[in-house]
Amino acid sequence: MTLLTRITTYEGIPLWRHVGALRWAAQIASAVVVVTLVVWFFANIVNAIQDRQIPHGFSFLQRAYQTPIGQHFLPYDSSDSFLYALVVASTNTVIVAVAGVALATMLGIVIGVARLSNNWILSSLSKVYIEFFRNVPLLVQLFFWFYIVLELPPIREGYVIGGNLYINNRGITMPWPAADSLIAVVLWLGLAVGAVLLGAAVHRMLVRREISTGKSSYPVISGIAVTLGGGALAWLLIGMVAGEAPLTVSYPEEYGAFGRLQNGFTASAGLLALLIGLVMYTAAFIAEIVRAGIQSVGRGQFEASRALGLSPIDTLRHVTFPQALRVIIPPLISQCLNLTKNSSLGGAIGYSELTNVAKTMTQTAPAVSIFLLIMAAYLAMSLSWSLVGNLYNRYVRIVER
Amino acid sequence: MATRDVPAKTAEVPPPMMTVGVMGWARENLFSAWYNGALTIVLGVVTLLALWFGFAWIFGPADWEVIAKIGGRFVIGQYNTEAACIGQDCFWRPLAGLMLVTMLLGMAWGVAGGGFTKRVAITVTAVAALAAFIPYSFDVMGLDVRLLLLANIPALFVGLALARYTRLGTMKWIAIMSVGVFLLTLLLLRGLPWVPGLQPVSVIYWGGLMLNLLLAVAGIALSLPIGIALALGRRSRLPVVKMLCVVFIEVFRGVPLITLLFMSQVLVPLAFPENFPQNSLFRAAIIITLFSSAYMAENIRGGLQALHPGQEEAARSLGLSGWQTTAFISLPQAVRNVIPAIVGQFIALFKDTSLVYIIGMLDIVEMGRAFIQGNPQYLDNAQELFIFLALVFWVFTYGMSYVSSKIEGNLGVGSR
Amino acid sequence: MDASNGHENLEKTAANGGEMADEDIIICRDVHKWFGSFHALKGVTTSVREGEVVVILGPSGSGKSTFIRTLNRLEEHQRGDIIVDGIELTKDIRNIESIRSEIGMVFQSFNLFPHLKVIDNITLAPMKVRKWPRARAEEDAMTLLERVGIPEQADKYPSQLSGGQQQRVAIARELAMQPKIMLFDEPTSALDPEMIKEVLDVMGELAESGMTMLVVTHEVGFAREAADRFLFFDHGEIVEENTPKEFLTNPKEERSKLFLSQIL
Repeated sequence: MTLLTRITTYEGIPLWRHVGALRWAAQIASAVVVVTLVVWFFANIVNAIQDRQIPHGFSFLQRAYQTPIGQHFLPYDSSDSFLYALVVASTNTVIVAVAGVALATMLGIVIGVARLSNNWILSSLSKVYIEFFRNVPLLVQLFFWFYIVLELPPIREGYVIGGNLYINNRGITMPWPAADSLIAVVLWLGLAVGAVLLGAAVHRMLVRREISTGKSSYPVISGIAVTLGGGALAWLLIGMVAGEAPLTVSYPEEYGAFGRLQNGFTASAGLLALLIGLVMYTAAFIAEIVRAGIQSVGRGQFEASRALGLSPIDTLRHVTFPQALRVIIPPLISQCLNLTKNSSLGGAIGYSELTNVAKTMTQTAPAVSIFLLIMAAYLAMSLSWSLVGNLYNRYVRIVER
Repeated sequence: MATRDVPAKTAEVPPPMMTVGVMGWARENLFSAWYNGALTIVLGVVTLLALWFGFAWIFGPADWEVIAKIGGRFVIGQYNTEAACIGQDCFWRPLAGLMLVTMLLGMAWGVAGGGFTKRVAITVTAVAALAAFIPYSFDVMGLDVRLLLLANIPALFVGLALARYTRLGTMKWIAIMSVGVFLLTLLLLRGLPWVPGLQPVSVIYWGGLMLNLLLAVAGIALSLPIGIALALGRRSRLPVVKMLCVVFIEVFRGVPLITLLFMSQVLVPLAFPENFPQNSLFRAAIIITLFSSAYMAENIRGGLQALHPGQEEAARSLGLSGWQTTAFISLPQAVRNVIPAIVGQFIALFKDTSLVYIIGMLDIVEMGRAFIQGNPQYLDNAQELFIFLALVFWVFTYGMSYVSSKIEGNLGVGSR
Repeated sequence: MDASNGHENLEKTAANGGEMADEDIIICRDVHKWFGSFHALKGVTTSVREGEVVVILGPSGSGKSTFIRTLNRLEEHQRGDIIVDGIELTKDIRNIESIRSEIGMVFQSFNLFPHLKVIDNITLAPMKVRKWPRARAEEDAMTLLERVGIPEQADKYPSQLSGGQQQRVAIARELAMQPKIMLFDEPTSALDPEMIKEVLDVMGELAESGMTMLVVTHEVGFAREAADRFLFFDHGEIVEENTPKEFLTNPKEERSKLFLSQIL
């Protein structure tokens, strides 16, 4: 009796009634269940790998991939390794994601503001847009755009606009900046960033002076002028030192018997359709976020600002939008994340993004390893977006103080 | 005397002409300023032109034959093909499942006693019954199929009668029977080896809208409870439980569904013993459900965070246990607060069912695409096909958000 | 440390508690509470007799709310003993739950359950905790609603009621559990002036009926009428313990005088 009591009590309380003990028991129980499941799955996978002699490990990464990748932004050749092919595929995903986010945000803000317009036609049109595009699966939209591009005439009969813009069923080919010397480009880009910062500093300084003196000193125009001037100066300097401009324009040219195109930049049908589809789809969601954000700013703010004599545009820019941003940013970040993940549908329309390439790879390389790698890649992208969101939140918190 | 001459000034002065009626509305909403007027005119012209060319295309050059050609395959995929049901007729099985559903709707109508539920029940039944009159030749769509479609009308009233005149007419029974109908439909579709006339049909032939709906219903029914469990786990004071839930949620939210679906096809068979019964539909349903649960968990968590802490304190001080507090106080309020987000997630889940193409299943979208790829003479009609598919999805998703706004309206009392 | 010793200690304290004062329903000995590094309660020692009405006064942040919240374990005290009706508040989950259902608590912000009708707010705990059948719980609830003067509001939702009515429902909800002790945490602070009286009347009637009550309030008028004893809190400790009359007319401590000069 006493022995039993001694074993099953703590602080004089039976263990099955002790709050702390109960918590520990729950934790241990759930951990045991999960660990058991994971171990069981893992053991099964290991067994299967051994029994069925399924390849495993990461040594394949050094092997040559030996499969072409459709559109790619980094130089790529079939003899490149699996590892490099994964890098190329990730770059494809990241480029679509970043471009898509930029365009979708702009379109979404325009539609979201239009939704609140007091012009009935404008707000109704944006409502129709939002209700349609966000309620139809992205996949259907992607196919729609993809087959439109595919139905364009073939290259020889395709449209040529201004001699340099080729539109045909392979996509759109356009002039594109090209670099002869990498060092010169990097140097110029560095200086250009410096010029932008300088312009921003001049803008801020002139705004301060305008506020303290009350005299207009054209801060916006001066800032832009400093930025452009600095950039141009850097361009000339590098041009003089290197003997040529840091960036030249590469124009598309026809070659061969079938009127094929070289040089310039070709956005393939898959890339075009993916970008259009992602942007139109995500913009509908962003528009709703923007609308809700603006509406979350109380009517009193708007009225107070109008009472002070600010114009509607100034009210939106200086009073409503800065406050709405705080509501808008978190869901906006999650839309960026969604867009990035949704780019994985590009495979369905022949764009070689990460999932599509990984899927092809599983035919010649261990699936488990590839799954772990691309999962890590997607999680890294998600984390990057969260990081952007957190940085912004911190910035907002500092401003609020 | 003086008072007699003064008219009743304060009463009934009509408002100025320009602020009421059509003119007033137009002035307010279309021509409130010169730039607004200009915008109205430009947008009006553009909209009219777009409508004009749109309708001209729909009734002119657009060729809708591709839709008719695919026809029933949009609805049940390859379920009724020779390869799927060897030496037997199985067209009636999905139709019987549909009848079970209309019967259930009839019961719901009986319990709700009209109103909104009635409208939904009648609409669904009417659409099913009207489908019996699609002008196909009888070779393509037989009399038996048409009769079974029409049988949805009596099925609706059987359900209504069951609810009105038997003891089955309670919410509890409808909930139980919903689960029963879903499982029975699955059983009907799958078949049983020892029942003649009900031979098994492999899930690889299940397709079309039927597949989308089956996946969506299973996902919706399961992702809410799993999501609630995950949300509670993530808010738990127990660090181990919390960590496990956070890892699960973040992994499933961080990776695209299509990647998970594809990899489930490769990895899940390895993770279970070799003789473990499973198939691609089962795996797809599990992955879609878990994926949706992770998002659902975050929605519910938002609702729980918005709760006033005093609610929990009041419940605890009344002597309710932790579980009772969660079940009767916290969760009902949290779920109610985030109904729009939950329905949004249901809609996303329904749209996501179109991603099963990655594992080679022919849902309604992939059915259409496979058809035009296999019949290149229809490649030029891809626009018609995808506009049709977009409309089908839109009807369902818009219907879902309509239903949710109705539910919200009904719950409006007392929620604030 | 030896677990059996702890067990015996508990038995002993409970027994001692019984011997020390038969009628003491709440005994607090050297109760300490920290929020992080903030010392919110610095050794509170007091006891409350059955049927006594104790009003707790003190400036905001003095620990008076924290003190009554430790009595039903909404806050966990870290040192000292609290014994309620012979049961010591420890980590024993059975003790916590039985004490909670014996102590009712009324909050400043009412904390009615907005998704339940008034009647369901009241019947929830008796049905779920005491396992009463619905009919009995509802009958009981209606009696209580009559007692607090609003039987006609039974089928409304809390949001449809005025603040004073909501607080009266909250009191009825707690009484439905037939508690031995009622705690009031500034029950009238969130009310408009014209509604304060209707709530104070209900509380006064409750005090007359012999309920043991601990009330945190700034309503000095009510306190003088209803209270048997005042506890004056400042900086997490009891500065003065006195009868209402003595405290209001002839406070012993400097801090009490300062406080009274500010609120009167």
